[in-house]
Amino acid sequence: MSASDLNPIDAEAAAWAVKLDRPLPDVERAALETWLTQDRRHRGALARAQAAYCLAAAPAQAAEPGATTGRPARRWVLAGAAGLAASLTAGGVFVSALQRQRLSTRLGEIRRVPLEDGSLAAINTDTVVEVSLKPRRREVAIERGEAWFQVAKDAARPFVVEAGAVRVQAVGTAFSVRRKSIGAQVMVTEGVVEVWSVDDPGGARRRVKAGEQVFIGDKAGAARPVSRPLEAERALAWRDGQVVLDGDTVAAAAAEFNRYNSRKIIISDPALEGRRVVGWFRTNEPDSFARAVAVAHGASVQVADTVIVLGG
Amino acid sequence: MATRLSIPSDEAVRWLAREVLPHEADVRRWLAQSLVAASETDDVIQEAYCRLVDLDDPGRIRSPRAYFFQTARSIVLEQLRRQRVVRFETVTEIDGLNIEWDEPSPERIAAGRKELERVMQIISRLPDRCRRIFEMRRILGLSQREIARRLGVSENVVENEAARGLKAILAALAADEAPGMTRRKA
Repeated sequence: MSASDLNPIDAEAAAWAVKLDRPLPDVERAALETWLTQDRRHRGALARAQAAYCLAAAPAQAAEPGATTGRPARRWVLAGAAGLAASLTAGGVFVSALQRQRLSTRLGEIRRVPLEDGSLAAINTDTVVEVSLKPRRREVAIERGEAWFQVAKDAARPFVVEAGAVRVQAVGTAFSVRRKSIGAQVMVTEGVVEVWSVDDPGGARRRVKAGEQVFIGDKAGAARPVSRPLEAERALAWRDGQVVLDGDTVAAAAAEFNRYNSRKIIISDPALEGRRVVGWFRTNEPDSFARAVAVAHGASVQVADTVIVLGG
Repeated sequence: MATRLSIPSDEAVRWLAREVLPHEADVRRWLAQSLVAASETDDVIQEAYCRLVDLDDPGRIRSPRAYFFQTARSIVLEQLRRQRVVRFETVTEIDGLNIEWDEPSPERIAAGRKELERVMQIISRLPDRCRRIFEMRRILGLSQREIARRLGVSENVVENEAARGLKAILAALAADEAPGMTRRKA
């Protein structure tokens, strides 16, 4: 069924639902009110179109059925804050009990944790992070894995992430750091950060802007940052528990799912590995991905408890 | 029922998205079994949304799914009664239709999630720029204005593209393509 089969009221409602994303000028508002008075169904259709737009375009938790709250941000902030409150009340006093905090995630787990300084950390699958909020400096060490940070502005206390020898420094900005065997990958979503490696003899620092990503080798230091704003957004879909594939190879996509799940995807037909896939999946549903690949590329799929085998 | 003219509030829209929309496919399926002409299904659905969005305190409704079914049912009954000639059996048949409007069980919640996934599938098949707009809203929570700025196009272009995508989603939601069910003729 294509959009051209849509009934005219729903089509008009869709156009209005989208316009309502911004404040309407008087002329448009009057036109909308007129349209709404013409027929009760118009108002129903508008509400439905707005709800569909909300479901389709709002952050994942906002509209998920069964959620108890309509405030997406609030839900995860509260989840993180519960742990914070628990550790504070355990001491009985509200002093800075959280100067050092070790945060870890199991395979497939994604945590969002508000830090004491007002920053937020989103911690991806199979990651260990140690946070030390010192009076002069905020330090986060990524022992393994990947995390994204939205840093609260505090010019007097630089926020420095360590990933092996690699350092990433921000004042008030948002970026992710993924630790790899010989360095780290950094993606910046807001503001500017400075990156360098303490093992790099030259020790040159590089500035990386919003929308850019860069690989910093432990020894070789920072490569030239490349600008890929859309890529960065897609690559950070894990914060919502999602994997967004946009023309990735089946092999790369399978490796991505395998980061999150103990049930690994195995590709038994080499010809399948280079095929491209597009789609939107939950990180914890490798079977949906495998079935989608099977349908799209005429492959076979066997789902067992411990593995998923994709064949030709 | 008095017609209110105000634009639906954000809160009401979020409630509809969370609690009502995921059950629309089931309500439509039920309407298809009932004696509502297929051409009138959209009318019933639109009228139902109009009543649901005007609820004063939707939070007090324990089972929005059941409420949605009941609302649709009473709209159908009102329509039948308005018609000059209504066979008595028609009304009793409507009353006797077996409706699954129980409290959400894990299966029901899973069904709602399926609906969300279906919407995501539709988005993934949208033309490139259109799809990116939905992704940027969803992942980064950007406004259309901000998306326009980042894509280097006018806000108007973003609006048109977003409306195009939304129409495709609305058409698909109305198409009743539940897993394992063949498509019903519109």
